[in-house]
Amino acid sequence: MIVCVAVVGHQNNPLYIQSFTEADDALKLHHIVHCSLDVVDERVNNPKKSGPTLNETFLGLLYPTENYKVRFHLAYVDAVSNPFHVPGKKITSRTFAERVSNIVKSFGLSSAG
Amino acid sequence: MGREVSESCVESLLTEIVSSYCNHFYANKPELAARRIEAIGYQVGHQLSERYTMDRPRFSDHLEAIKFICKDFWSELFKKQIDNLKTNHKGTFVLQDSRFRWLSHMSIDLSSESSGSAQDPSTMAESKAAQATGMYLYFPCGIIRGALSNLGIPCAVSADISSLPACKLLLLNTLRCFSR
Repeated sequence: MIVCVAVVGHQNNPLYIQSFTEADDALKLHHIVHCSLDVVDERVNNPKKSGPTLNETFLGLLYPTENYKVRFHLAYVDAVSNPFHVPGKKITSRTFAERVSNIVKSFGLSSAG
Repeated sequence: MGREVSESCVESLLTEIVSSYCNHFYANKPELAARRIEAIGYQVGHQLSERYTMDRPRFSDHLEAIKFICKDFWSELFKKQIDNLKTNHKGTFVLQDSRFRWLSHMSIDLSSESSGSAQDPSTMAESKAAQATGMYLYFPCGIIRGALSNLGIPCAVSADISSLPACKLLLLNTLRCFSR
């Protein structure tokens, strides 16, 4: 199940962070997100090591159906296409938050079986 | 999944942007108007490049990203690809569009006040026309600069319209960001 969704900007600045469990507090989530980013950075900076996996989105490729990534990406693209969104600043769109939580919900339902 | 608008709407919008900024918001301050228009283009280019690269993997190098601009990105915006791409392999690129669509319906009025016999007035009229036409290139240049910036290639983008309807875009300083 998806525990947390985060969007991070070019300068490693958090643009959006939302947890879907009650347990974790915001600071712990930030730490986990940044640790995950280190894994991503490592793969990006060592193209020889990662080889063909470089073109994957590194998101813990454990699940057979991957279209949730596309849905998250599309929600993000729509959010930043908003002319009132300031690039580099936090994403404040409620529509984005709703779409993200809908994706997480549907993902939880589909992987329950 | 995106919605589209007709090209004539985009051309009308471009005409109105130039008119509003040059004659209204920054009347008599063409440099400020130009900068503002370019900045709007920059944000649009940033957003469009995010959308149009959604289905693609990361670009392996600068050249791949610039080729994307010349082919796929240019096709989305202008319904055709760049006709010629040149580089000096030192960070400068020249993109040539032999018939720039957003100017194709614009008549360039070289004033007929002088009968053409005296050299100076016709050159002046020509450069005034060039200046006026040039205003319409700030928005597309901004779009390309914004797109490249989002792809990790901050650079300066300028246009050369000395041989209309052809338009050349000059990308400068693309090597600044070489190391990550």
